[in-house]
Amino acid sequence: MVKVKTALRRAFLDNWKFLLLSAASLAAFLLFWSLYAAWLRADWPFHGTPSPSAEYVPYPWVVLGALIGSFTTPDPATRLLMTDHILASLKRMFLGFLLAFGLALPLGLLMGRSRSVEAVSSPIVELFRPIPPLAWVPIFMVVFAFTTGPILIVFLGIFFPVLLNVRLGAKSVDPLLIDAARTLGAKGHQIFTSVIFPSTIPHMMTGIKVGLGIGWMCIVAAEMLGAVGGGVGYYIFATSQYGRYDLMFAGMVVIGILSVLTTGVAGLIERWVYRWMGMK
Amino acid sequence: MSVCIHIEHLSKTFTKDKRSITALGDFSLDISDGEFVCLLGPSGCGKTTALRIVAGLEKGTYGTVQVHGKKVSSAGPGRGMVFQEFALFPWRTVRKNIEFGLEMKGVPEQERVRISSKFIELVGLKGFEDSPPSELSGGMKQRVGIARALANEPEVLLMDEPFGALDAQTRNLMQKELLRIWAATGKTILFVTHSVDEAVFLADKIVVMTARPGKVREIIPVELQRPRDRTSREFIAVRGKVLTELDEEFEIAQARERSKE
Repeated sequence: MVKVKTALRRAFLDNWKFLLLSAASLAAFLLFWSLYAAWLRADWPFHGTPSPSAEYVPYPWVVLGALIGSFTTPDPATRLLMTDHILASLKRMFLGFLLAFGLALPLGLLMGRSRSVEAVSSPIVELFRPIPPLAWVPIFMVVFAFTTGPILIVFLGIFFPVLLNVRLGAKSVDPLLIDAARTLGAKGHQIFTSVIFPSTIPHMMTGIKVGLGIGWMCIVAAEMLGAVGGGVGYYIFATSQYGRYDLMFAGMVVIGILSVLTTGVAGLIERWVYRWMGMK
Repeated sequence: MSVCIHIEHLSKTFTKDKRSITALGDFSLDISDGEFVCLLGPSGCGKTTALRIVAGLEKGTYGTVQVHGKKVSSAGPGRGMVFQEFALFPWRTVRKNIEFGLEMKGVPEQERVRISSKFIELVGLKGFEDSPPSELSGGMKQRVGIARALANEPEVLLMDEPFGALDAQTRNLMQKELLRIWAATGKTILFVTHSVDEAVFLADKIVVMTARPGKVREIIPVELQRPRDRTSREFIAVRGKVLTELDEEFEIAQARERSKE
């Protein structure tokens, strides 16, 4: 009993220590940022002449103020609120994701299970896969304009991670499970839906999480070239053109938070799917 | 008793790395309804191949397999199979694993639950209906494997070293459980094993196979009363007879290996 108690207390302390160290690390980062900004401005505790670069590096609390303000005051570049930008970017992410997932899932399953589908599609896939999605930005912006262009860039970013992971998953289905299903009377399409697809779900979720991260990187770059109806990437670019670096940094913070949130939601869905499937 | 499984002149040749290997050569066997038959032989003699052909998971090169007069051409629910590695669907609970075959047949849910409950009870898994396979011990996993095959009401139950992955105690318990389930359902069972002790404990008759290419060397009927006592003189006598047969085959296989070198 005593042993359990000390073990519990140790775990509790460990958790506290972990949180404390994490908070300290974050605080140290903010401190160095503040000191650097102060040094550029020759503010306290530094002396001398201010650097001309000072305007590019606002204090962290200024960025925080700009971030809070961006939700109530339209920015000078686009006359939109941060919520509009966030919704515009989320909509592109969502559409790009749906398109990528809807195509990559069936194609990945078929490529993993059929030699002829693999033979037909792998040269094309291998040809386009190594090209960074951002390399497509200039041509997409010309051909597809600013409405669909960013969506297609996001699509490319998410498509390949999902495709490759699903294909790997479909290839590594335990052949014994397929044998078992056949002796239980499962026919071709039933084996696909009842054995191959569920076996692939863990790989699919990995592909989605990797893809979402890449998707956020893609959307910022794609929106920077211009985006109808705003977007956080566009916001970052446009406010920097206006010389409002406080707003620009606020936009960067928003992108970071959005990326963490969507990956977090994907993680939650993953756990929910596993529980629903009865796996741990 | 009428013939349930009829295997005639079955042979199977694999091609691997441009070499052809004959796993089975002219294997013939008749199994009656309700009989418990063990296939026993030196490793690599093709006993698992024979079982997989009866299941319809593989095709023989020559010869035929019939179950109740119907030719076996592909896998189907008429021949239930239990695997050494259990082969349970990890994303399905115990109940959902057992209902798999019924779902494939399109049996309505209420009926599925009724049937699965019956087999959960039969194999002694009550209370574990909603557990995922990952939470079960090896012996319990194989209970699910047996219930899953039986829920389809197959004409025969094919078992490929089903207790090979279990520890000795669990193995002995599962053998007794299988005999109980067999008595309750009256299924025809074809059981592959490499354990002489297991074969003598379970079987009505033991089919000793020759070394590769496998065919029937000898069929030894086991006429001991059940429950069998592994320490009885009669049990040991049958065991000795089977071992002698098997040892001779093992010697032949060894000699052949040596002459190849």
